[in-house]
Amino acid sequence: MKQTEEQTRVDFKMITFTLAGKDYGIDIMKVKEISKATKFTFVPNAAPFVKGVYNLRGDIISVIDLSIYFNLQNTEVENDGIENMIILRLEEHVIAVIVDTIDKVVGITSENIQPPHPLFGDVNIKYISGVVENEGRLYVIFDVERIFGNEEPVEPINTADFRTQESTVSTAVNANKEDVDIGFIEETLITFLSFHSSPVNQVWIRNRFEAWKKQKGDNIQLVNEHDAESYLAPFSSPFSGTFWSNEYAEKVASFLSEGHTGNFYVWNPGCGSGYESYSIACMVKNKLPSVHLKIVAHDNDLIRISTAPGLVVPQSSLESHYDRFLTEGKKGIQFNKEIKDAILFEYHDITHDNTLPKLDLVVMRETVSYLVPDRQNYIFGVLDEMMKPGSLLVLGANEEPLNPDAWNKVENSGVAAYKKK
Amino acid sequence: MRVEYINPFVEAAYNIMHEVLQTEIVRKDLYLKKTAQPVLGVAALVGLAGDVEGRVLIDMNQSTATKIASTMNGEELTEMDELVMATITELANMITAQAVTKLFDLGFKFDLTPPSIFTGENMQVSNSNVEALIVPLEMPQGLVEINVAIRERM
Repeated sequence: MKQTEEQTRVDFKMITFTLAGKDYGIDIMKVKEISKATKFTFVPNAAPFVKGVYNLRGDIISVIDLSIYFNLQNTEVENDGIENMIILRLEEHVIAVIVDTIDKVVGITSENIQPPHPLFGDVNIKYISGVVENEGRLYVIFDVERIFGNEEPVEPINTADFRTQESTVSTAVNANKEDVDIGFIEETLITFLSFHSSPVNQVWIRNRFEAWKKQKGDNIQLVNEHDAESYLAPFSSPFSGTFWSNEYAEKVASFLSEGHTGNFYVWNPGCGSGYESYSIACMVKNKLPSVHLKIVAHDNDLIRISTAPGLVVPQSSLESHYDRFLTEGKKGIQFNKEIKDAILFEYHDITHDNTLPKLDLVVMRETVSYLVPDRQNYIFGVLDEMMKPGSLLVLGANEEPLNPDAWNKVENSGVAAYKKK
Repeated sequence: MRVEYINPFVEAAYNIMHEVLQTEIVRKDLYLKKTAQPVLGVAALVGLAGDVEGRVLIDMNQSTATKIASTMNGEELTEMDELVMATITELANMITAQAVTKLFDLGFKFDLTPPSIFTGENMQVSNSNVEALIVPLEMPQGLVEINVAIRERM
């Protein structure tokens, strides 16, 4: 009775195979197909476990020998070098792994999967999602997404992985009182203002801590939201959340190379009520009058962004360089059609999927610092993919890119930005 | 999603539901969902094309669907039959059509596809690379979610 009950609840199927005489399994949902092949194309200077590449009906995929990868005793291939391959479809790519023999498909109840035992010798434990028994055989189930996917194995340190581990190691070693204090402050900033310390803002956080200590003496801890806000107050850039001054706009514009023609795409995540997006539009129109400008402005604060498309401006707050872009509307003074048509305001959470054109300029001031470190990584990945070479990134005055090697810093009397290499 | 699109959908959903059910409708906070998301059980889908591409999904569970259909038809319906499905389909059509009319007045041109209805359990809907705006409406018959995913053509 119990047997049938369990059989009906098969909710996990795996392909089983052997490596050096032991049984292993891979989740069938990750397996695209199985196949036999020989004569892989050798890749010079590849890691020893990479057998080469293989042409799978037009797609070139890498072939990895699992027994070499896991340092297991390699059994000799008998039948003329024909290898058994399991072709895996991972989230990011398709690869093939070579195993000794492919056994069958085994259906099990996922509840019966036991967590891996820490004493597992032959295969590193973080690559195993569990162990399961079926018909008297014990199968070790590989977590192939962790082994071959881009997903990093879960590390206890959740610092951004663009930087070398060196800095984190050295901080851990000199864990003195000051580090503990900064650690507390960083925690509090997350709690009250969802501000996440990371390599984007770490330099500023350290410097600010010195100033804060001088100001507050012994009483340095942040006890409430008000304290957290005053700690962060100097973090914001000039003209954050408001119209840019002529002087500031000209400094930023000086980084844009002349001679742009055709489309000019800008991304402005965290645009809030849109003041900065309009400032950017006017700046680009002044500097590069002939380009076809398109600004994609995103914010996940519905209340603030919903006023942005029809923004009414008190003229007194604007300097003269905005004049030619303003027009008298029914509700008051607004930006003219040329500027409005150039900006697309979208209610959007940038930590979700971003659909963007290839970008010439990204203005993202005090935005990434308010995302969890994992999403900060994701956003810099998006920039890496979507920004054209030579395009410009403007971060907050106290922020730095996560991947400093990918950028050339440019400066003009106190204003800095980053050119993509 | 483009800010200008949000209000027409919220207003149309609210107005139509209020009109056909003649009852108090409470609009809860709007939010954004990532691409893949579970569907409550009965989903009426209307595709959008034109200046944009996307779809509108009117989503509710089966009990809510039968209760709404009962009210709209003025008779007591107890199970998900042809009439209930036809009624929910029509509801989706009305909401989307009114929203599209409002959008047209603002200068955006949308075309509609005929509505189709999906029922079942444990369903998920996923649109690649578009996040969905969720407009939850609470009424005595239950919860109805208007799920709008629209992407600009670039």
